[in-house]
Amino acid sequence: MDRRDFMKMTGGTILAVSSGTYAFQFLVASGRSVSGDNIAAGTVRWGMVIDLNKCIEGCTACLDACRTENNVAFHGDNRWDVHWIRKVKAEQKIGTESKEKSILLLCNHCDKPPCAQVCPVQATYKRNDGIVIVDHHRCIGCRYCMIACPYNARYFNMKDSEHWQNEERPKRSHGVAEACTLCAHRLDTGRQPACVEACNNTGAGVLFVGNLNDSDSEVSQLIADRPTKRLREELGTEPKVHYIGL
Amino acid sequence: MNIKNIIQCRIGFFAALLAIIIIIYPLGYSLTDYAIANDRAEAQPFLERTAPEITDCVEDTIYMRYHHWELLGKIREEIVRYGKRGDVSLDTCKKCHTSRVKFCNKCHDAISMTPDCFGCHYYP
Ligand code: SF4
Repeated sequence: MDRRDFMKMTGGTILAVSSGTYAFQFLVASGRSVSGDNIAAGTVRWGMVIDLNKCIEGCTACLDACRTENNVAFHGDNRWDVHWIRKVKAEQKIGTESKEKSILLLCNHCDKPPCAQVCPVQATYKRNDGIVIVDHHRCIGCRYCMIACPYNARYFNMKDSEHWQNEERPKRSHGVAEACTLCAHRLDTGRQPACVEACNNTGAGVLFVGNLNDSDSEVSQLIADRPTKRLREELGTEPKVHYIGL
Repeated sequence: MNIKNIIQCRIGFFAALLAIIIIIYPLGYSLTDYAIANDRAEAQPFLERTAPEITDCVEDTIYMRYHHWELLGKIREEIVRYGKRGDVSLDTCKKCHTSRVKFCNKCHDAISMTPDCFGCHYYP
């Protein structure tokens, strides 16, 4: 055997053994594969309609339902409380008259979400069905999304929440940003979001969630029939929460 | 060929052989690892079955023992990133391995690693 053959054989052996080992590992370890989306892009586009005229003064059914369903942190202290949906008082001045109105604010699940654009680790992203969601496993807590969001919809978990009201659903640990997920886990399994259910149970029927791409859905009908407004439309974020009577 | 040349040739040969062994050893080790690990695990039956009526897992025992984090990672990706809520999730584990203290923590404590799962996911 000359030197050249020897080198060839050595290289060949190393290549064969290493690739074989690699292939074996791969065969053993690849039980499942991740591929493709659940929903093809463009078929479903979840959106919300809020009929503020029907909203009951002082009612907190939807807020409470959201807290219990999603284990949203509540410490009883404004500095650390997280709100996925909140009720704010807005004052509207028309001429000399001013009238107060309470508005429900939540993540608008923008079609062009600034929060997802600024996320450096792509933890915040828009699903194919239009829901903007945070992958808390990936979130590094940089809080860019909170700055980017023009609706102040994002909150940061300043500390671990102690309450675990709904054991089926995860809570968040300290150090991740979060916002409303439109109860994606419920929509995926064909149920309505917790706030919608709670609101309907009180009989008010303020909140509607449905497919904006389907022209026969309740939300599309409402948007077509009634005058609706969206918050800060001029920014071009294309929010998907439509308000009646804003 | 005189004696000096022969010795030099031998040294070169053994050096090359040693190099090959050193290179191949860790690769080959991962092959035999499964067999060795199997014996080792049988010697230490420290996992407690809390629901013995269910006998099959989503994957076989050896796979689960050495790759369950990969499986959980894949399921997590499917659910969180793609919205595919299949029949397997962390809740499926709970059906048999009802207690984290009696099951998960045993190994995790032994190798002193703290997975982040349970800060957010409820597992008693
Ligand atoms: S409302 Fe804010 S958090 Fe929600 S998608 Fe738009 S920018 Fe992101």
